[in-house]
Amino acid sequence: MIVFAASDKGGTGRSVTSANLAYQRALNGDHVAYVDFDFGSPTAAAVFDVPSAVRGTRERGLHSYLEGGTPEPAMIDVWRQTEHPHLHAWPNQSGRLVLFPGDIGGGEFATDEDALERCVDLLLRLNGEFDVIMVDLSAGRSYAVDMALAATAHPRMRNVPFRWLVFHRWTRQHVIAASGLVHREHGIIRGGVERGHDELALRSAIRFVRAAVPDPESAVWSQGSPAQAAWMQSCDEALRRLAAEHAIGDSVVLGIVPLEPILQWREQLITEEDVLATQIANKETLEALEEIARRLTDDTYWGQP
Amino acid sequence: MARPEASAPDAVLACGEVRTRLLPTRQALDIRSAAQFLALRADERVLLSERPALYARSPETLTGVDCPLPSANGSRVRAVGTVAARAALTEGRVLQTSAYFRLPSTGPDQRRPWGHYLVRPGVVEPFGKLLPEAIAEGVLGGGRPGDLDVGLIADGLLTRLLRHPLLDQRPPLRSRPTRLRWAALPAAPGAGPSLERFTLAEDDLRTVRLRVPPAIPPDRIAGLCDDLALHDWLLTTVVHLLDGVRFGAPEPSARPRPGDDRPAAVLALRPAVDHLLHLWMPRARVASELAPLWDTLERQPGFTRQWQALVQRIRDQLTLHAIPALYREAELTP
Repeated sequence: MIVFAASDKGGTGRSVTSANLAYQRALNGDHVAYVDFDFGSPTAAAVFDVPSAVRGTRERGLHSYLEGGTPEPAMIDVWRQTEHPHLHAWPNQSGRLVLFPGDIGGGEFATDEDALERCVDLLLRLNGEFDVIMVDLSAGRSYAVDMALAATAHPRMRNVPFRWLVFHRWTRQHVIAASGLVHREHGIIRGGVERGHDELALRSAIRFVRAAVPDPESAVWSQGSPAQAAWMQSCDEALRRLAAEHAIGDSVVLGIVPLEPILQWREQLITEEDVLATQIANKETLEALEEIARRLTDDTYWGQP
Repeated sequence: MARPEASAPDAVLACGEVRTRLLPTRQALDIRSAAQFLALRADERVLLSERPALYARSPETLTGVDCPLPSANGSRVRAVGTVAARAALTEGRVLQTSAYFRLPSTGPDQRRPWGHYLVRPGVVEPFGKLLPEAIAEGVLGGGRPGDLDVGLIADGLLTRLLRHPLLDQRPPLRSRPTRLRWAALPAAPGAGPSLERFTLAEDDLRTVRLRVPPAIPPDRIAGLCDDLALHDWLLTTVVHLLDGVRFGAPEPSARPRPGDDRPAAVLALRPAVDHLLHLWMPRARVASELAPLWDTLERQPGFTRQWQALVQRIRDQLTLHAIPALYREAELTP
């Protein structure tokens, strides 16, 4: 299963959330590949805490691979090479977690036929090795998004299942932007159909993740005044209506990640220790991530809404 | 096929690399499809054989090279010639690509016209003299960027084959490709072949160091190494398969995953039975003069011994799951 992580804007927590989903799947025993196609700003090294391992892969990242500069892209075994204090020991019964880093300083680039063939080669190879392949795509209607659409429409990929996660924050601007990324004229669906995708099938394979959502019911906000609570409640309802009007309502939402300081400020994996021992992360956040990770392959959450 | 062998000094070193992976198709290829799949050249036929197991091997392809040789002592010896590569399919299921070359001890001081190299297929000639020991260790350890890398040639052939339209890209199980690098130095005069070292270097990399009488042609050594790589891949793949299985009764979990009622062990082990367990056949494709090298690995670490233990374990698990769960799980809580 290939999962493409897309967002219209930066700062939606797309990379950090998709990395956490990859981590959760691996903890559960799946072999997981995390492919960093965020060509503008590869951040996965920071999230997985593998900065020195990534420095050693200069010139062999995915950018160089797709351009034909290196025949085999660098790969980093996260359990083995992470400097994250809690991840050092490969958890028992977990699957592999492998990062395919982007190049340092590699920007966006137009994809030609050769790059597309190489992209298909890579995705097929990973499909043979991994249960879940999480592909982090540059924000907006980027070349990375184009390549993902073209690769999945390629005849060689006809038997490889894929799904899309579109991340957005819970604000007016972000709701409208996320809907646009998928539904507007040059959006993912139109772009996909132009490349040979079946519209219905593609629509059925796209779900949204609302990130950094303040939960009015949460204990975090219980200190606020009644006026504040009422205001939050009405905003939340207005946003729900807006989302529904823009065809990204609750029926196509895979999950909601609560507002979480760790994800906003430090972009890291959230482990059980962060919740139980040091208590720097909220239990609700970890549960939300676990649940979204589980739903990635739960067919009842996918298909025609 | 008989080939015009130009007179060349005896090889002092033969090296190669084998890539081994599962063929990404739902069903194994039958012998006719295998022949079609491996038809790399119009002028030469695919070698097909049905005994003792289905086996197909492509004709050799040649890749011209002109680059420094990898070396363990930092010397930079430029070499020119051709690297031979071929692909093989075992039981229509396991795909291997193998690239190799041999090196004479000395070569001309300047580059000759290509015709000179083309009549010496699979020979790479150094400029001046070379130290076989340093080159052998350089090949096994992996060279610097720009050095001759037979692994890339094997990988290029693999990439080309994997784009073949015959493949439906629906592998029946998740598995990892492996790489096996080998270097064969000449055996002492009068001595037979010997296997000096078999190392599991990284996750997916194995290295093999051999001593071989100089009269043995490199495609036979490559044949031995293909056979070692195939069986090492089988062991690696089945070990990983068993690693991923949670045995015993399902753990009580607050949120059961859909499909948890099906016995995970059976689902996970079934592909091994369907696609892998019948492939174990060491020495089936090894030249008789090199077949004794397998004995070294059978003694230590004991390839077939480990395989039999794995096979027995899989069969026991499947037998256990033939017993209704009520009785099977009854004694698990002491």
